[in-house]
Order: sequence, then C-alpha cells, then structure tokens
Amino acid sequence: MRIQDVFSFALSAIRLRKLRAGLTILGVVIGIAAVVALLSLSQGFQNSMTEQFETGFATNTLTVTTQGFGFGQDQSDISLFVNDTETIDAIENVQTSMAIIQKTCYLEVGENTFPVTVVAVDFSKYAEIYSSSFVAESGEIPLEPRDDVIVLGQRISDPWKNGTLLSTVGDAVNIVWTTRSGYTLTNKTYTGAVAGVLAEIGGFGLSGPSDTAVYIPISQAQSFFNTNEANTIIVQLANSDDATITNVSEAIESVFGGQVRVISPTALLSTITTAFSTIELFLAGIAGISLLVAGIGIMNIMIVSLMERTREIGILKALGMKNRTVLSIFLSESVIIGLIGATIGIASGWGLANVVSRVGLGGGGISGFGRRQTATIGMNIMPVLTPTLFLGAFAFGLIISVIFALYPAWRASRLRPVEALRYE
Amino acid sequence: MTPIVQTVNLKKTYMLGSVPVNALRGVNLTVEQGDFLAILGPSGSGKSTLLNMIGALDKPTEGKVFIEGVDVSQLNDNELADLRRRIGFVFQFFNIIPRFTARQNVELPMAITGKDDRRKRSEELLASVGLAGRMRHKPSELSGGERQRVAIARALANDPRFLLMDEPTGNIDSKTSHEIIDLLKKLNEEQGVTLIVVTHDQQVAAQTKRVVHMLDGLIVQEEVN
Repeated sequence: MRIQDVFSFALSAIRLRKLRAGLTILGVVIGIAAVVALLSLSQGFQNSMTEQFETGFATNTLTVTTQGFGFGQDQSDISLFVNDTETIDAIENVQTSMAIIQKTCYLEVGENTFPVTVVAVDFSKYAEIYSSSFVAESGEIPLEPRDDVIVLGQRISDPWKNGTLLSTVGDAVNIVWTTRSGYTLTNKTYTGAVAGVLAEIGGFGLSGPSDTAVYIPISQAQSFFNTNEANTIIVQLANSDDATITNVSEAIESVFGGQVRVISPTALLSTITTAFSTIELFLAGIAGISLLVAGIGIMNIMIVSLMERTREIGILKALGMKNRTVLSIFLSESVIIGLIGATIGIASGWGLANVVSRVGLGGGGISGFGRRQTATIGMNIMPVLTPTLFLGAFAFGLIISVIFALYPAWRASRLRPVEALRYE
Repeated sequence: MTPIVQTVNLKKTYMLGSVPVNALRGVNLTVEQGDFLAILGPSGSGKSTLLNMIGALDKPTEGKVFIEGVDVSQLNDNELADLRRRIGFVFQFFNIIPRFTARQNVELPMAITGKDDRRKRSEELLASVGLAGRMRHKPSELSGGERQRVAIARALANDPRFLLMDEPTGNIDSKTSHEIIDLLKKLNEEQGVTLIVVTHDQQVAAQTKRVVHMLDGLIVQEEVN
C-alpha cells in the first residue's frame, strides 16, 4: 500500500471521530504549548538577564568585599580600608585597584527628597576601568576632582524617562546623610554641584556603574562620612585569563586571611547561567509531564479505536493487507494527531509567551525601588523561540504521539483475521 | 492441471470455552478452474469454517489446504496476505466499510495492492454489477442487495483466481437474491470466474454447477447439476 493511501486511510478514520480526535489533539496542543511558552519565556528571561549583567561588564575586574554574597553568608567582621588598595596593587597581575565607599543617603533636589545610593569613587580610575559605562552624557566627569562635585546616574537626572529633568548639569543638590551618635540622630548635608550626568547604562550594574546611583569623589566622601572603611575594592587585572582571575583572587583572599570575598563577574555570570539551565530543565520537566499525559490520552483513544475497528481490521486483512500496513495505518493516525497538535501547540505556546511577556510583566520588569523614585530597571522579557526549541518541541510532540501509539498499533497488526471478522 | 483449491483430510478443532468443537473432521475437496460450487449444509455443519480455511483466513488443526498447489500452512503472515490478494471474499454481512462510498470500497483492495487506474476500474466493476448510478453512495444509503453487489464488485477488484461467498443471499429478499444469483452465473459463464458459495439455501445450490453437502464437519454427498 502506498504511503499516501496509508495516510488518507488514517485520515478518514480520524475524521470519523472528530470530537474524540479533537480532544486528543487538544491534549497534545496543551503539552506542546506549555513546553514552548515556558521555555521561550525562560530563554527570553535568560537573554535579558545576561544582557543586563553584561552591560558595563568588565571581564578583567574583581570585586573585593566583606559582605556575604547570596544567602547564608554572613558579613565578615574585618573591614576593608581605602588604602588597602596599596596592598592589592602589589599583587602580581594586578594593574590597579580602587576603593568604593557606598552609603544610602537622601537626595534633596528643590522640594524633592528621595533615597539614593551614594557611591564614592576615584573618578579617573573608575572611568578608566569602566570606560564604556562611566561616561558622561552631558557635562563631564571631573577627572581631577574639585571640591563638592557630583555625577548623577541617568535615572536620577531623568527619573521619568521622558526628558523632564529632575536635576541636570550645574544644579546644586544636597546629599543628606543621617548618622547616629548616642541616642541622637544627626543629619549631615553634602552640597554639591552636578558636574555630569551619565549616559544611560541599562542593566543591573552587577559590577560597575549604575543608572540609579549618585557619584562623589572618594576623597570628599572620606571626610564627609568620616570614615576610611571601604565597602568594596575594585581590582583591575592585567588580563582576563581564568588563571589570572583564580590566582589573584586567591592571593587577595590570603592577604586578608580568608575574611574577604573576591567576586569575579565572569564567574558570577557563569554561575547565573548554570542556575538558569537548571531552572530551564525544571520548567521543561513540568511541561514535559503535561505532554506525557497527552501521550497517555493518545494511547487511550487508540485502544478504544482499535476495539471499535477490530472488524474493519479483519476486513482489511481478508483483502490482503499486511501486518506492517495495519501497523503503519495506526501509527499514521497518531502521527497526524501529533503533527496537528505540535503545529497548533507551537503557535499557541508562542502566542501565549508573547501575551504573558506583554501583559503579565508589563514590559517594565522590576519597578519602584524608592518612594518617589521611579527608577525602573528596564527589563523587557522578549520570549525567544530558538530553532532548537521549535524543532525540539515539534519532534517531541511527534515522538510522544508515536511512542504511545506503538502498543495499540502493534496489537492491531497482530489481530487474527478470522477472530477480527467475528468480533462484534 | 493443478486444481485451484484442494483440501486433504482437513480437520479443525477449536475451543468453545473449555469444550473442544470438531468443526471439520477430515474434508477432502477439489475445486477446478471455472467451477461453480455450492457448499450446502445446515448451520454448524462446518461450512463457514471450511470457507475460512480455503480463504487462507484460518489455519487447519490437521490436514492441508493447497491453493493453486501451494500449501497454505507453510506460509507466514506476509505470504498469507499476498495469497489473500488473489482470493475474492464476499462475506455474509457484506463487511463493506461504512465510511467509504461504494466506489471507495471497491477501490480499497486495489489501494492495498497498490494498483493504478483504480477509479476507472472500480467504476467498470460497479457498472458490471448494475450499480453505475450508485457509486457515490455510502453503504447506509444502499439497500441490502446493493451492498451485496458492492461486496461482489470489491471481491473482483484484484482479478482474483476464485471467489468465496459466505451466504450471499442470506440477508437479502428473494427477488434480490435471484438477481444476485443471475449475476454470479453471468460472472461464471461469461468471464469464467471460479465461484465457491456457502449456503443453506437449496434454491441457490440448484443454480450452481456442483453441490457438496456437509454435515457435522464432513462432506456427506456430492452431486453435479
């Protein structure tokens, strides 16, 4: 029997029980749609995250901190000092290093007051290390810091993203730092002139400049905050080889007696990517289960169909149809169901992913950290349908359909003609 | 010349629950090319079982069936399927496929063997059994006699060496049954189709060339009309 005759026979059998076939197809559609929607969204999310992290990403840097990163890691009891950079600079393969003091303060601009992260850095070194992101859009970054200058992140200057500037170059702004001595709270005010506004960076600023920070010279900060303790020290390496990253990290840790953490953005990114793969696998597993259920549905209807058509199979065999042809007719039916289900499933999964990314996530991602601060970390999750996902979903749907039809099809092919003809 | 069908001491026992039933108890039958044979007997005499054996649908417990000299018991499933393509089977309950039209039903055996020009051939066959105007009708829109003709046309589709018919007039009225008999006689006389008909109807048997009487799984009498 020719292949097109096998398929047209299978199709005629499916058409005979439209509702039942339709429901079975629906099962496959839901399974495939779940796979496609979840995986294309998670792929999109991953792409978006990676992109965010890679913004202003410097592969040849290390971040030294006393804070625990992640859960269950306590802050170390030792402190880093601004002049620890001298010790670090002496380590082989370290090009330069710089300390960062970071505090949460209030920014007063006219009548507006809102919390900001104040990052105190050596402007010239910072601009050198993050040459792609620590760049002024308007004004300039004062490389030879004068007194009381401030550089604003893009979102601090333009929080509503519409050109209505809260403050811009030349404005005088106040940074208010609340400190406590004994039982009294004291506000200290640092008044500075905005020297520059950074170009939009985007991203989370895993390491490096951020859109939502305010920058002041570290020399000013040391006296204003009255401290020599640094929150982090950024280390620039001679190169970004894995060996260099490992060696310098270990050297720095040993200098501080293992009491500091040295974070490599490259290593962090690979950790994140690994975590995503695990999440993706988990999601695929969940979606796969629904496809498995669909497969059982296929098996169920095929067995019912086999019983209903026992007599028909007897007729076909009496007319000289071979066992393998009977087998291929039944498998063709499931292939047709799988094909239709996979096609509709991929289309609707893709549609669903797009709807979810527009409606569910509002295209905005995480928004509103502060009270008045509308700084949003712009995260647009665009679902991604990779060719691998497309073909994989298609093949998976088809394979599931065929696998679960194998047993009923095999049983149909083994029916004995006389008994099949006698079957009521 | 090799007979078209030959059975040698054919025995068939099957289990009805736990009771063994001796449906055939040693049947020797020879059918030559061009014959028109009626197998006559009451129900339970084993005539349908014999027909299934000759049609290569069932295997004997003992004894042999030769079709065109080939021992059926030596064939595997695939070879049996090939053999059945050369046999035209007309079942008692027509067994035409309800979702197909008359023409599609006649085309089915040709689809199975992968023949070309199925449409033309099926139309010719249906016309020859007097159904030229009913080709696009489904079985549910056809009368019993018409369905029987569709079944006959289908059985002839692959130019079989012989036609096996199980009670061809069993489920139709007497007028239609006369027409069917006339059609069969015509096929036998004009086209030389070998016919083996199982029936319990004396009138049908009287129209054939040769009659064998069966009783309790044995051929008890043979007569030539």
